[in-house]
Amino acid sequence: MSERVIPYNILLEIISNTYELVWRIVPDPEFSVLKEGLKTMEVSLTSGIQKAEEGLPVIGHHFSFPSEFLSCFDAVPICIEGTSYLLSALLPDGCEKYYDLINNWGHPYHTCSSQKGPMGMVLDDLFEFDVIATPTAPCDNTFASYPFFAYKNIPLVITDVPFIHKEKSYIYLAEQLKSDLYKIGEVIGQKPDFDKLKIALNLENQILNYELELFELRKAVPCPVESMINPIVSGIKIFSSGRPEKLAFFKTILNLAKKRYKNKELPPGMKEEKFRSVWPYMTIFFDINLCEWLDRELGMSVLIDIFNYNFEEPIDTSSEDKMFYGMAKKAMNYPMIKESTEFFDTFIENFINVSRDFQADCAIFTSHLGCKQFGSIPQILREALRDELGIPMLIIDVDVGDKRFNSIKIIKDKIKMFTNTLL
Amino acid sequence: MSLQNDPFLNLSNSIFNSYIKEWQDSNKKVVGYYCTYIPEELLHAAKLLPFRIRATGNESTELGDIYMVRFTCSFVRASLDLALKGGFDFFDGYLICNSCDHSRRMYELFHLKVFNREGFKKKIPRFYISVPHVITKAGFLWFKQEIEELKEKIEKNFNIKKITNEDLKESIKIHNENRKLLRDIHELRIQTVPKITGSEALQISMANSSIPKDIANQELKRILKVLNDSEGNKTNQKRIMLVGSIMDNTSFTELIENAGALIVSDFLCFGTRNFLDDINVNGDPLESISKRLYYRMSCPRMMDDHEKRLNFLKSEINRAKIDGVILQRINNCDLHGCDNMLFEHELKDLDIPVFNIDRESFQADTNRLQTRIEAFLEMVK
Ligand code: SF4
Ligand code: SF4
Repeated sequence: MSERVIPYNILLEIISNTYELVWRIVPDPEFSVLKEGLKTMEVSLTSGIQKAEEGLPVIGHHFSFPSEFLSCFDAVPICIEGTSYLLSALLPDGCEKYYDLINNWGHPYHTCSSQKGPMGMVLDDLFEFDVIATPTAPCDNTFASYPFFAYKNIPLVITDVPFIHKEKSYIYLAEQLKSDLYKIGEVIGQKPDFDKLKIALNLENQILNYELELFELRKAVPCPVESMINPIVSGIKIFSSGRPEKLAFFKTILNLAKKRYKNKELPPGMKEEKFRSVWPYMTIFFDINLCEWLDRELGMSVLIDIFNYNFEEPIDTSSEDKMFYGMAKKAMNYPMIKESTEFFDTFIENFINVSRDFQADCAIFTSHLGCKQFGSIPQILREALRDELGIPMLIIDVDVGDKRFNSIKIIKDKIKMFTNTLL
Repeated sequence: MSLQNDPFLNLSNSIFNSYIKEWQDSNKKVVGYYCTYIPEELLHAAKLLPFRIRATGNESTELGDIYMVRFTCSFVRASLDLALKGGFDFFDGYLICNSCDHSRRMYELFHLKVFNREGFKKKIPRFYISVPHVITKAGFLWFKQEIEELKEKIEKNFNIKKITNEDLKESIKIHNENRKLLRDIHELRIQTVPKITGSEALQISMANSSIPKDIANQELKRILKVLNDSEGNKTNQKRIMLVGSIMDNTSFTELIENAGALIVSDFLCFGTRNFLDDINVNGDPLESISKRLYYRMSCPRMMDDHEKRLNFLKSEINRAKIDGVILQRINNCDLHGCDNMLFEHELKDLDIPVFNIDRESFQADTNRLQTRIEAFLEMVK
């Protein structure tokens, strides 16, 4: 056990226990996405912890500084936001202790819980970061919260992400990314190995094909993939990017979905697909069982959420320059970054198209306390979906990582009442 | 003579004013903006009147709340509310930048819901500049290019043949003079016997952003004279520095000053942050304008510049002989909330009395705040 990444040890322990339990108790093919997801994350976390034990440098990173970009180092990448929300998902009281710690230290209650967790953990000396890498996106919470780490004397490497998608933005960001990888290297005493980076990016290109195929399959009526795929994929993207276990995950899930699609089967436990919903933002992290409840109790498929609806082009790895240009494009099109580095018209247009393509009959927008950049969107999107497609949208105020803001009971009640109006 | 009921200060109490009317009557245009990161000098050189958006006087957010969730900043919601009620119909254009996640969405909302609402006929062009969030050489080059592109868009949209270097230089001169006058007034505020209250200083700053700068300069000279001739505030009040979120009305400053303190300095964007730095008059004028904006005293949207902000606070606390610092944020303002969090620890480490509080743009329950402020002032030596 490495003392430098205590929360990762905790995460690994819970994941392993949960995985073992689910694997032993729940017969196949039930909970297939959850089982595969836990297995994948277990592999990634084990590898990280092993490296930490070997004494390799610990690089904290924002979720939108994709971890495969860090594969040019022999290091332990730790995702700040992912740690907060994976713990929220797996422990009954999630990260609440650490949210409270940092809140009491002065972090405003309305600032995003995804950063609060590791900030509290740093106050509690649970992490020893050698360096932290963050982009200046997607939100005020990021610009505002990360200077705390600098205050705590952790070297902070900040990559400026420009607002607005233009050719010049990708060029600007590509240069930033390259020089920032060198900066990280300087701090940890390593030279970035771009051959290793290339391998990880090529692997991601391969994964992209599976993701795209899965995306197409999810349009089928009934949807052959369980709703749980949404939060699980966000976790896989965060913890396993650029790694072979991510490829294996998508391969398995895709094969399962193909089989179900061929046999016109519903996801296990779903008796009938009564509602087809799109979630323009995300599902809830503090209780990912919500997805199972939607499938089993309500017969509601969550067809797509913000982590699953948009895909970047594959990265051309034929030269270093092209590689960095591709990485910049990918980074700017990463979930949440994409939406916050452009005007909201594109997001609205995209979700109208997605809702149409997926034959959705309703939308649910979880309006997350932290995400102020999305705060002006729900009503506009609701009006647009109503006017363009005639489908209603429910807006629920939440903190996706803290059940104390709006409990799972309140959330379920709201969804239930909403579905009553759809019948 | 005092500044009570001074016609210039009174301009801060309303949005529209007779100077704007006169300006528009002579066929000239007004461009609204939110944030001090926009190049006022460029607009002025294009013979446009830059008007800094406020919601002063509008105590409701009801209409704004339809389009912005309740955890957005109440200042922005109040300004959207006012816009939806027609409060900014006099605009001929508006310019937004990515200052914070709340105000930046006005680019879309003003377009969609305010200036395209039923019955509103005027076509209102909108402009946007993307400001980097860190201070680097590459970031400066990006920003400079944004300003250059903005210049072209302004020329095109307002049918201006060319904004010349001479126009820009003249504009720089007027704006440098304006900032110098504001700094001179500020000097009278921080001295041992302050000649101006915090509420008055705030009013001056708001009025200054609502009328043509050449007129504002005349008015500021007049005010400066009034202040120089005045006796000042000789009472032994606690000297406070006010830091944080935007203030577009004096309700909060009055609360503090009615509780027996004097706000002798601030770190607000309707305050010192707006006039500390000047533009170099030599060299390429557009580049100089960009340089000042980019490298000036930052606000927390600049992610890597907290130390500079802290250093300013420390030096101002010494210079203005501050007894205590009030850090405030409008609820849901993550930027100032987190900057204040760090300031609180850093200033406490220096044994400087600090009070950190959240508020609304318009405070309904003043009792709670008043009690807490009074308690803090009690504590200050
Ligand atoms: S969840 Fe929203 S507020 Fe939180 S870090 Fe992500 S974009 Fe920012
Ligand atoms: S107070 Fe904060 S949230 Fe409100 S406009 Fe200013 S920076 Fe934005």
